[in-house]
Amino acid sequence: MTGVVQGRDRTPMRNAPRRSVRSLRRHRARLIVTGVLAAIACVTLLPFYWMLSSSLKTMETMFSLPIQWLPWPPNWMSYVLAWQAQDFTRYFLNSGFVAVAITLSNLLLCSLAGYSLTKFHYRGRGVTFLAVLSTMMLPLEVTMVPLFLIIKRLDWANTYQGLIVPFLVDGFGVFLMRQYMMSIPRDLIDSARIDGASELRIFWTIVLPLAKPALVALAVFTFREAWDMYIWPLIIITKDSLRTLPLGISLFMSSYGTSWDQLMAIAVLGTLPMILLFFFLQRAFIQGIAATGLKE
Amino acid sequence: MRADESSVLPRPASPMANVPAAESVLTPAVVRASARTARRRPRWSLARKQAAFGIAIIVPTLAVLAIFRFLPMVQALYLSLTAYDLVHPPRFVGLANFASLLHDPLFLKSARVSLTYVLFSVVPVLPLSLGLAVLFNQSVFVKNLLRSAIFMPVVMPAVVMAVVWTFMYQQDGVINTLLGFLGIEPIPWLRSSATALWAVILIGIWRATPYYMVIFLAGLQAIPADYYDAAKIDGASRWGTFRYITLPLLKPTMLLVIVMNVIVAMKVFAVPMIMTGGGPADSTRVLPLFIYQTAFEFFDMGRAAAMSVFLFAGVMVFSFIQVRLFTRGDESR
Repeated sequence: MTGVVQGRDRTPMRNAPRRSVRSLRRHRARLIVTGVLAAIACVTLLPFYWMLSSSLKTMETMFSLPIQWLPWPPNWMSYVLAWQAQDFTRYFLNSGFVAVAITLSNLLLCSLAGYSLTKFHYRGRGVTFLAVLSTMMLPLEVTMVPLFLIIKRLDWANTYQGLIVPFLVDGFGVFLMRQYMMSIPRDLIDSARIDGASELRIFWTIVLPLAKPALVALAVFTFREAWDMYIWPLIIITKDSLRTLPLGISLFMSSYGTSWDQLMAIAVLGTLPMILLFFFLQRAFIQGIAATGLKE
Repeated sequence: MRADESSVLPRPASPMANVPAAESVLTPAVVRASARTARRRPRWSLARKQAAFGIAIIVPTLAVLAIFRFLPMVQALYLSLTAYDLVHPPRFVGLANFASLLHDPLFLKSARVSLTYVLFSVVPVLPLSLGLAVLFNQSVFVKNLLRSAIFMPVVMPAVVMAVVWTFMYQQDGVINTLLGFLGIEPIPWLRSSATALWAVILIGIWRATPYYMVIFLAGLQAIPADYYDAAKIDGASRWGTFRYITLPLLKPTMLLVIVMNVIVAMKVFAVPMIMTGGGPADSTRVLPLFIYQTAFEFFDMGRAAAMSVFLFAGVMVFSFIQVRLFTRGDESR
């Protein structure tokens, strides 16, 4: 980079001072960019910080001025009280179970479908792919009324299967896996076939391991969506023992609307699994989203 | 393509006896052809078997999608032509639901709220997320840390987001306190019909910007460095490089971001539902929220289905573009 710049410069004598000015300028530019981004980071992090710090305040100090940025001594009681106010243990387990079930089934079904759509030849494959893709046009917000009627007819309201089965597979997930599986060389699969491996075995021992990056991204993506799901449980769940965490939190909000310390404590706990997931699987998290923008 | 070939080529009645005959003639074309049949014959049933396996593994997916996506859509179309209250059987009413919706000020208001939400949460997100991506594409100190920090809103569940922002939007909450430092009078964020929608939109922007930043970053990093090197040799300015290299090459990504963002914005539900319930004075009752309330609070399924059809029409236009973007370039394969 600098080499090119020097080459353009005809007078070698002025080279040295110029370069230092340039590097100084670059350094300054780098500092400015960092500063701007840090300021923006403060804005994006403010709700997190405020949620955490308020959860440790008491109701007396909650709105006190000047702003108490570091609540001291921390009021841990809000966590205990909030957790005991409703059956949050149950809500957590429900949410976890539903999200894990949906994620596992998506991993299996989306990769099977993606494999089918890339490495097998049969009539109607193109149409099948289009049909799968077009389900992305049918968001839950559009189909929720009839879907509710279907679930009611199946007698699945207030059941785990009602929460899970409609989301066992997702058009976008299939798309994601298909895109990735196109890059898996067919020769690998063919040579395994020549070696006499069964189709299922090939899928399990060759295709799936090769698709691991896409699988991790899909898992994170799906888990996040499932953990976040609100409108569907709101429609089909009325029994307390089946409430998921988002339902529990919104119920808590409507019944303890002004106990902000406890509300923020529950908010922290509800975000914690996602934050942990994010820190352990940061790359997959970001890749899962980046993949939505990739077409090749 | 291959399916066609196999249906034309190996007439099943090509017994082994054919092969020695072909060998005795030995013109290159015949050899090639016989080689092909020889290769094909054992693979013929194998290809069938493989195709069957390929179909079998996609059947569960198709079944789930058919029952829980397509069937409801068809039913929504049917329900939209009926009056149905969950108690009495659906009664066919033709287009009455649509006609009455178009004259219902509440529905028109809701449609307008949704459009406002979509427009003002999509338009600012585009330059913001692109700008952030461009900044992150420069050399930055502690880049990973900053990127994670700015990415954090994506991690927060929607319901938690609604709760936390409701708290921050309180009259004596942190936002008004911070604005007070700048000499701005407290704003009755969620209590006034003039500001509530903007408060909700602001959250949408806060959540969406880092998400699309990641997509833009991926798009930026996909641009070959050669282009920039060439531009540098030609002495292009930074702005010129951005304007004439980066932007044109990012066009598909931009289109995708807009489309995805519009679809997500049309579906917004949890935040207005929890924060305002559609109020004050219906100012935040976005379409999905209105559909939910019509169906599950007023039990007017037919009317709700008719609203869904309107929403579907809106989503479809953009989804169609999205599907086109997703399948583009497939023809060459």
